[in-house]
Amino acid sequence: MLEAKNLMVFFENALAINDLSIEVKREEIVGVLGPNSAGKTTLMNTISGLIIDIKIKEERRGGERITVMGELWFEGEEMLHSKPSYRIRKGIALSRERHPIFPDSSVEENLRISTYLRKDPEVQKSFEFVYGIFPPLRELRKRKAGFCSGGEQQMLSVGMALMTRPKLLLLDEPLLGLSPMMQRFLIEAIRRIRKEGIAVLVAEQFARPLLPSLDRGYVIENGMLSFQGTGQELRDNPEVRASFVGV
Amino acid sequence: MAEGEKYRKERLDRGIKARSDTIYVLASSRDLLYLLMPRALPVALLILLPILLHGTYWEKVLFYSCIFGLLALSWDFMNSVGLVSLGQALFFGAGAYFAGALNHYLGWPIFLTIPAGTIGGALICTALLVPVVRLRGVYFSIVTLILPLLFAHLIETLEILGGTHGLLSLSAYPSGWIAIYLAVGALLLALFGFRKILDEDFGMILRGIRDDDRVVMAAGVNIYWYKAQSIFLAAAVGSFAGALMTHYYQFVGRSVLALDYTILPLAAVVLGGPGSFAGAALGSFILVPLSEALRAMGGLRMALYGLILIGALAALPEGIFHYLQRRYHQFERMVKV
Repeated sequence: MLEAKNLMVFFENALAINDLSIEVKREEIVGVLGPNSAGKTTLMNTISGLIIDIKIKEERRGGERITVMGELWFEGEEMLHSKPSYRIRKGIALSRERHPIFPDSSVEENLRISTYLRKDPEVQKSFEFVYGIFPPLRELRKRKAGFCSGGEQQMLSVGMALMTRPKLLLLDEPLLGLSPMMQRFLIEAIRRIRKEGIAVLVAEQFARPLLPSLDRGYVIENGMLSFQGTGQELRDNPEVRASFVGV
Repeated sequence: MAEGEKYRKERLDRGIKARSDTIYVLASSRDLLYLLMPRALPVALLILLPILLHGTYWEKVLFYSCIFGLLALSWDFMNSVGLVSLGQALFFGAGAYFAGALNHYLGWPIFLTIPAGTIGGALICTALLVPVVRLRGVYFSIVTLILPLLFAHLIETLEILGGTHGLLSLSAYPSGWIAIYLAVGALLLALFGFRKILDEDFGMILRGIRDDDRVVMAAGVNIYWYKAQSIFLAAAVGSFAGALMTHYYQFVGRSVLALDYTILPLAAVVLGGPGSFAGAALGSFILVPLSEALRAMGGLRMALYGLILIGALAALPEGIFHYLQRRYHQFERMVKV
């Protein structure tokens, strides 16, 4: 479904992603694990296309020059240089790190904003879908998103990505700053999302709660692939256990 | 890479820059020149220009450039504390009226009115703005925008300080040289002084306030006191420009509180590049002569001026100075990935 080949991303002369190849198949939950500064967020931005926007802004500001190279295939189409809006139409949606939402709009309005690109009449179905995955959001739908707790905002942020009806959902550190209970709930939700036929690519540095749910995973360090394997292989690898599970 | 033929542009610091930045050992006179040139050249040029342009119309333009340069520096300084001001005309007007009134009503000589105007104007402006330093962002800007307009109307309706006629026939400079070298000297002093201040510990707090004032507050620093101090410094520079200009014109009227003295310095900073002070000065030395050179265009002058400004901003949003600085310190080349 998604295949990235030999991705390289430079921030000026620093190599953020070095010759990275990853693959996501249909209805898979794939993890990208790595410590801080490994390049997880850059990878997510590169796949979702946000990097194109960042690149243009940096260029206009005269700041860092960002160079993106390699190949990014999504459902048989080369996407590396497409705009983020095009990628969303084609089915790649990103829920960004630290759950950015529109604090002054209500939960329901936040979800509605995400359907802006859609021209079909089935928006109501998507609302039901998101409320089905995250039941607490239904109760909160009239509340201002800024008043919601961190966990609720994270649900909302994932919900906003789901409202675009993606085929591939990218989650950047969805567990960041959440209580263990909320983490479990979110991982349950990720499984439910997969059951609905959506592939999920999760970037996370704290892998313990996530590891049992992964079909496959990539461990990256300093932008380079250091280990890859199925969920079982990751769980059995002593180094992965030591670095990301903390056992 | 599979193809093996991919190139990307690489940007590197020049060796000489890396050497002089970190090691502090100057290997040759070339290194010394590399460091000194960007500072010494503009200084030498500014000192020489009044002599070269003496007696011509462009001498006046140079004087205006310095005046607007001072206002632009004062704006840039406030901006580096996170105070976005839209009221440089307030500083300018306060200094101009203070000096003008002392000269007109009390007959003080120039060499007292200019320092008095600088300090007095700065004190008045600080007193006016201190109550609103708690406002942040656009709310502070709006207050600074309104104050000069308010005073212009007060002067008009209350017929104080000469009312609509202004204060006429103030004392002139004994010689044109004094005026122009005061302007040039003040510009250089403000330029290097502000740069120095921001490099000190004091400046570190100011920059911290701009980046995140709550963190500075959490560190136990009274940010309002620091904001007031920086307003005083910026206002002193603006008021000095006003006092200087008053005696140059030998007249002070409501026009010193006009929007021009707010907008033009701001445009100069944006064009030159904010945050470095050199950009602010450079911007006004481009904009003021440009606006004079366009006088020949007649009615189209302002339209053309606007177009040039927009064009420059679209092409170099970082500001001319930052672009030049990068070119000076870094070079680019294509490298194989």
